[in-house]
Amino acid sequence: MKVYEKDQKVKVTFKVNGKEMETEVEPRRLLVHVLRDLGFTGVHIGCDTSNCGACTVLLNGKSVKSCTLLAVEADNSEITTIEGLAKDGKLHPVQEAFWDKHALQCGYCTPGMIMQSVWLLKENPNPTEEEIREGISGNLCRCTGYQNIVEAIKTAAEKLRLDQPLYQRQ
Amino acid sequence: MYPPKFGYVIPDSIDEANEFLEKHEDAKALAGGHSLIPMLKLRILRPSYLVELKGLKDLHFIKREDGKIRIGALTTHYEIVKANLPLLSEAGATVADPQVRNMGTIGGVISHLDPAADYPASLIAMDAVVRIKGTRGEREEPFRDFAKDMFSPDLNPGELVKEVVIPDFKGYSFAYKKLERRAGDYAIVGVAVLLKKEAGIVKDVRIGLTAVNNKAVRATEAEKILLDRSPDEKLIEEAADKAMSYANPTSDIRGSAEYKKKMTKVMTKRALQDALKR
Repeated sequence: MKVYEKDQKVKVTFKVNGKEMETEVEPRRLLVHVLRDLGFTGVHIGCDTSNCGACTVLLNGKSVKSCTLLAVEADNSEITTIEGLAKDGKLHPVQEAFWDKHALQCGYCTPGMIMQSVWLLKENPNPTEEEIREGISGNLCRCTGYQNIVEAIKTAAEKLRLDQPLYQRQ
Repeated sequence: MYPPKFGYVIPDSIDEANEFLEKHEDAKALAGGHSLIPMLKLRILRPSYLVELKGLKDLHFIKREDGKIRIGALTTHYEIVKANLPLLSEAGATVADPQVRNMGTIGGVISHLDPAADYPASLIAMDAVVRIKGTRGEREEPFRDFAKDMFSPDLNPGELVKEVVIPDFKGYSFAYKKLERRAGDYAIVGVAVLLKKEAGIVKDVRIGLTAVNNKAVRATEAEKILLDRSPDEKLIEEAADKAMSYANPTSDIRGSAEYKKKMTKVMTKRALQDALKR
């Protein structure tokens, strides 16, 4: 059993976007703050009450709201933030679709919205419109009315399915 | 918002967690944390230590054995939805939003016991049993007794929910109907129905209500109206009306007491209609 006192710092190791990182945190520090301090400022703080989803990241492949997780809980885990999606200077298909379909206005919700969409399409590569809307129900956008976001996710779904080799397509 | 300062404990076994929590009564167990961490941020709670449970693999499972389904306390809503369990998978899919369902656990829900939580309607309808572990061993309590009052589970200092056990309800149809004001919110009214029909006749029916009392209740008199009958619209209406008499809601931001009471009837009707159709 490990016991850390309240002023004692805890050593936390995790992989962020494939890169091994180590940091020391107070037990009460939230994951969103620690990620931002490490430079991943694409992880936004919106409502700070686990409603809006602007802080959504993938933790061991699952989407979570990083404002409602302690950094110590993420010890030994793999985290993906919006900064980890583009590969070799090429945007992720979901990012591309958000661009093409103009799925943002102010852009504040966008990183969280995209991370949630990436997870949603991994879970369900061919979602109906209703499933898309349910899938992003934990992410609030106050500008767009969601229409173009839903369009973008549909477009990304098609693209991701086409990118798959035939024998893997669903 | 920042939580207040607290110490952090990572136990290697349930025994260690039980012992530490018993010795430090102002410490709190941390499962998914999606009720606990918001409360810490609002400074509603100031625990001395948080005891991390997520590493305790013995609490993380779903097992089906002779007519029963055992669900470990750390099973997340996501896992419950995926497991295709009677009633609970449908109720689990309505809990909060996808991100919260990826973290929140069934053990956490029933240890916290928010009066508007979704599972309690199903658990009370299913005669679920809660297995509890403390330093002096294990004990079992029916969920209806375990839920003593709102936010008041039957847990002594140091005790933790280990698992929830439900019958497999083979041959039953079921439905959970939740009224919510906005996506991802707690229930304004939640109604769970389990039903067994033979040749058009109702042989068993259970109706559980959440969010309209301090704790979930079973509308037993409404069940009796349907038992051994072949329900038509009139009978469903009658049963739903009776279920409404079990609702004693309070007015809050989600609606007035009067509205919630009337909606109890509407949601019961919809749940019964759905379960009868399936």
